[in-house]
Amino acid sequence: MQELIFALANGSMYALMALAIGIIYSTTRIINFAHGSVIMIGAMTSYWFISVFHINYILAILLAISINILLSMVIYKTAVERLGDLSKNSSWIVTLFGASIIIDNIARMIFGTEPKAFPYLFNGLDIRLFGANIMLHEMMMIVIAISIGIAYQFVIQKTSFGRAVRAVSYKPDTARIMGIRSSVVVLTCFAISGGVAAIAGALIAPLTFASYTMTYALGIKAFAAALIGGLGNTKGAFVGGISLGLLEGFVGLMIPGGMKDAVIFLIMIVVIIVLPGGILGAKIFNKGSFTAEKI
Amino acid sequence: MPKFSIKAASLQKKYKVYFIILWVALLLISLAIPLVAGSYYLRLVSLIFIYIILAIGYNISAGFSGITSFAFAAHFGVGAYVSAVAITAYNLPFFVGLILGAIAAAVVGLLVSLPASKVKHHYLALISIGLLEMAHRVFNEWTWFTGGSQGLFVSGWTIFGFSLDTLQKYYFILLLVVICIVIQRNIVKSRWGRDLIAMTDNEIAAAGVGINFSKYRIIGYFFSSLLAGLAGGVYASYSGYLSPDTFSFQFTVFILLMVVLGGQGTLSGPIIGAIIATLIPELFNAAPDLKQIVYGALLVVIPQVLPAGIAGTIKKHFREIDDNQYIMEKRDKKAFEIKQNDISAGTNTDSDDILVIKDLTKKFGGHTAVENLSMTIKRGTVHSLIGPNGAGKTTTLNMITGVDKPSAGMVIFKDKDITGKNIVDLVRQGVSRTFQHVRLFNNLSVVENVAMGGRLFYSYSLTDTMFRTRKMRNEERKSFYEAMDYLDLIDLGHQANNEPESLSAGQQKLLELARALSMKPELLVLDEPCAGLSDTETMEFSKLLNKVREAGVTVLMIEHHMDLVMEISDYITVLDYGKKIAEGDPASVNSNPVVRNAYLGEGAEIYVTS
Repeated sequence: MQELIFALANGSMYALMALAIGIIYSTTRIINFAHGSVIMIGAMTSYWFISVFHINYILAILLAISINILLSMVIYKTAVERLGDLSKNSSWIVTLFGASIIIDNIARMIFGTEPKAFPYLFNGLDIRLFGANIMLHEMMMIVIAISIGIAYQFVIQKTSFGRAVRAVSYKPDTARIMGIRSSVVVLTCFAISGGVAAIAGALIAPLTFASYTMTYALGIKAFAAALIGGLGNTKGAFVGGISLGLLEGFVGLMIPGGMKDAVIFLIMIVVIIVLPGGILGAKIFNKGSFTAEKI
Repeated sequence: MPKFSIKAASLQKKYKVYFIILWVALLLISLAIPLVAGSYYLRLVSLIFIYIILAIGYNISAGFSGITSFAFAAHFGVGAYVSAVAITAYNLPFFVGLILGAIAAAVVGLLVSLPASKVKHHYLALISIGLLEMAHRVFNEWTWFTGGSQGLFVSGWTIFGFSLDTLQKYYFILLLVVICIVIQRNIVKSRWGRDLIAMTDNEIAAAGVGINFSKYRIIGYFFSSLLAGLAGGVYASYSGYLSPDTFSFQFTVFILLMVVLGGQGTLSGPIIGAIIATLIPELFNAAPDLKQIVYGALLVVIPQVLPAGIAGTIKKHFREIDDNQYIMEKRDKKAFEIKQNDISAGTNTDSDDILVIKDLTKKFGGHTAVENLSMTIKRGTVHSLIGPNGAGKTTTLNMITGVDKPSAGMVIFKDKDITGKNIVDLVRQGVSRTFQHVRLFNNLSVVENVAMGGRLFYSYSLTDTMFRTRKMRNEERKSFYEAMDYLDLIDLGHQANNEPESLSAGQQKLLELARALSMKPELLVLDEPCAGLSDTETMEFSKLLNKVREAGVTVLMIEHHMDLVMEISDYITVLDYGKKIAEGDPASVNSNPVVRNAYLGEGAEIYVTS
């Protein structure tokens, strides 16, 4: 039971990270390769605010969210905006990767290489549930992740911003003609993505320790979750995140040590080969799209 | 030929002299370095050479096949470890170890690139990060094979029993680099290179001339990782010691930087990039953190400021160097005729109905774009498909040419069922098409664009390419002569060496037509060939189409210029809301009241043909 909740809690964070990748993908069709760094900065700054400046937990996370929003916007402005048509030009892979390297190395210089113990919510309070000790923090991770998922789904389906996102995602040029400012929509998506990543990074940090290596350790899991679930839709992010969490828990029982991650990546590669669109592949949902229009 | 191409020819000669002098000077300097350099610098230069091989490898992937990959540190590492273990643990000769290492790296590359044929290429970038991580774990954990984090000592470098000293090692690596550079150049400046450039440029158009781009991508990545593995093998023997940390994330950053800095998709880019990227850290010896930040900053800035890298930016000033040499040659002008494919023509001429469509239906979700369409196209005719916007004309063409899969129905071409067959296969059977929105290869010159159409008729092999044999040169010459003939047909001969983007919209359309014609099709499928053409150009086009018909090529086209359609067509099929509403010769279609209602609108004046 404890293991299950742990896996689900981790999985829900992977889901949030995958969601953040999906938010950017939905409007730009690009994968933010600096995403791992953004998650890491979210975790490290909230650690800094809580443990060094002794700011209230919630306030600290809010501050981290704002820093991340700013960071994501800067990434978009410096590494993506000037590249022009992103579907024709795949330089964004390189520029975002470069941005990630810069952020990581600056983080290492500021925060040091030592992994930091990150405090739990509710001071690590346990509750007894179904005969097992469950940490309230882990329960909160799941609750928060689901709330954010529902909130995002609501924004996309019901608000005018959501309609703009869907329009830009479907046809950027047409959306522009219809008076939607694509670049503003995309910038906003980067900002939201950064905020979501900060929450995910800060909440998972107590379980993994906070350090600059989170970029790699978590970033790659975020990509795996996004791919397993299927890029660009909220449900897919959750399906992918939860399955990755469970898979990781399961593999962890059987294969200890350093090879664990390697096995998970292998599974990710197999999933991509077998199900190119992920479990909830965007393919199923886009079945009716017109090839004729692309020609 | 007009004057300026003669001037270009002399410019080319001049530039060629410059570049030959430059290359010879570089070679001489490389040969002389051991005479002046101390052991530190000799080692540095040797490493640069190894990195050049690696960068050439990655350039094939990133520059020519359009695959950004982060796994090249892993491919390099696999090559290094496999060759090191082969040499040290199994006492195999150096060359065997080297080849085993390269093959092992290439097999790993194959495992990564197979999914690339199925999914979009940025997925491959993600997979490659996973692979890099996996490789790093394996290098660290499989201690019985790799020596783990303790490292692995490689036994001394011997070739055929002779132990190499530093100087011999240096010259061996230099020789290998020169071979790699020459082979790279020969392959890129051949039909394979043009295919790769075309494929990275425009996938749909590449498929339209018969390039199976997923296959090419896999092959490209295979060779790319093969070279990386080769570089790794040389590195293992050169350095004599391997540690897993060498093949880390930072090394991937370095590989990426070499190629981005030098210029993706250029020949000299990897060389320039390897030199500069190796020398940068020499400036930052005191601050390793800063080095990584500078690398990162370069990766962010270079693609935005110098998208073509250093080599690409320099090349822009010497564009004429790449002018095609064959078309500059003097040749006797023969009367030129449009031909049908002599490979497939005559194989199946018994049937007069070249293309038969039966009950073709296409549904997009709930919307039926084409419903139960049947029609027959007679050999040697010009058959027009007309109808209001959204009538399903382009969808029909897409189903015929295998771009869209039909929901139901059959397409029969030359008595063979081709329903749902890929356009790549159809091209070989004698179908070629143009697109509603012009699809040209903008990274190739005008004449090369036409020559792409003739790619079906090459027979020279990869070995011919590597050694630039007479057979290869003759075939290239012939194909470019022919491409020039097609260009003269559309009056663009004087633009042969320019970029397609410098042409007017109408000229681009005609160029696409010339490319389709140079595939010598039996069935030519045109999607709105006259959209965007001026009146004069439309007239030219109609003359050209008559020549095409005289050559016996069957034409199926969608067109909105009614004057042209009525004048040139033998048959016309009218579509409305996905259904056929009329068919027949121009006069009967013109006077059909149903057509007038649907197409020209209620109460429209009767169209009078001349």
